[in-house]
Amino acid sequence: MDVKRQEIADTLLREVAKCRACRFCVDMCSLYQATEGVESMAPYGRLQIIKCLLNGALDEDDPIVYSLYSCLQCGRCDGLCQAKGQNLEVSYLIRLGKYLLSHGLVKGGHDEKV
Amino acid sequence: MRRSRKFISEVLTTLKENIRRTGDPLGMKGVYWTEWAKGLHLPRQGKTVLLTGRMYQMLPYIMQVTKIISSAKPLLSRGGLGAAVNLGNRFMGDKVIRFRAVGSGKVRTKGANALRGIASALSAVGEMPAYLYEHEPYSGVLLYDLGLDDYIEEHVKRVYRLLKEHNVEKVIGVDPHTTFMLREVYPRYIEEFTIEVKHYLEILSENVEELKDGSKISLEGEYVIHDSCYLSRELGVIEQVRRISESIGISLREPENAKLDTACCGGPIEYAFRDLTEKVSRTRIEELSAISRDVLVVCPICLINLQKYEKELGINVWDMGELLLRALQPG
Repeated sequence: MDVKRQEIADTLLREVAKCRACRFCVDMCSLYQATEGVESMAPYGRLQIIKCLLNGALDEDDPIVYSLYSCLQCGRCDGLCQAKGQNLEVSYLIRLGKYLLSHGLVKGGHDEKV
Repeated sequence: MRRSRKFISEVLTTLKENIRRTGDPLGMKGVYWTEWAKGLHLPRQGKTVLLTGRMYQMLPYIMQVTKIISSAKPLLSRGGLGAAVNLGNRFMGDKVIRFRAVGSGKVRTKGANALRGIASALSAVGEMPAYLYEHEPYSGVLLYDLGLDDYIEEHVKRVYRLLKEHNVEKVIGVDPHTTFMLREVYPRYIEEFTIEVKHYLEILSENVEELKDGSKISLEGEYVIHDSCYLSRELGVIEQVRRISESIGISLREPENAKLDTACCGGPIEYAFRDLTEKVSRTRIEELSAISRDVLVVCPICLINLQKYEKELGINVWDMGELLLRALQPG
């Protein structure tokens, strides 16, 4: 992993660790509602997936890509996290997760696993 | 969900290649974004430019592209990739998109009217921005949304260089995504970013009296507002649209999910997950249409996603630019 990606991975692990798992971001997520309660389609679930990808508990596969790339990046979870006092930039962290995944997805790119 | 990895891989690769090759996310080499400005005689040079980012003009093509991608998905799940499923130009091609977009007349008209309304309103309040016509760039916002950070810098620098070559000092954005990109993302890549970036609603709201004076008719009627995610949460443009609506005679009603707590139209993922988009947009339009038959939006992505329910629900979805055009140039 190059320096930039390693820094992003470290940032992600540090930030995701701050999540108190209050799960207030779950119920209000449009995708969570659209899938009638699939937690991997909610902000909290996506953050857990990123964490598991980075610590090697999960491998990049179809459901992981589906979960992260279906995020609307609408930012509604950010405001809620802020309102609950934790102030994580959840949608930005999910976008960083996409960035890490993109290395293995873009053809002619770096083709490196997370 | 099946084959998502392969599918997203195709989308990302195509997007990256299209933008690198043509500067356009659809990979179209022909100029499709200037037609709306015909007859407006906007100056080609000026320190202040109106930057559409091609977003409203892209709407008919986006409709076709998402349909094509959607119909190509089963091929992916069978693993039969090949040339036919290679997205972008290799897959769609200028001619295919243009041919298929012929039937998207209504969306094309709505987008063009929205832009003409915005330009007219700016002119009514004394702002006469230039327009770069065929030189107008795409902001690269899709690269950002999809986490393609490795390819953003090259594009951002190319666009910034172009703006500087045209001596641009101020940009007026017409859509939330392009405005966000230029205001928030570009400075992260350009050390000395000196261009002022404003959204047109910010300018109009500072000049509501002039806008009111310039309006030929008071529109009247009750509209329900659908706030855009990027505009409200990222750019903080919330009250401006309400002030402007009032000045042109519109009475706005607020849905439960409004302002900073607005609900998404589902548009950002339509390129890949049409089924999910459909569920999200339906939930939103049902909430809005229960309040008023006239829905006001301030973003081209919201416009395209919510207007598809017009016939089914017997509603009208208006972009703010369309209403400005009606107020300033009735008939």
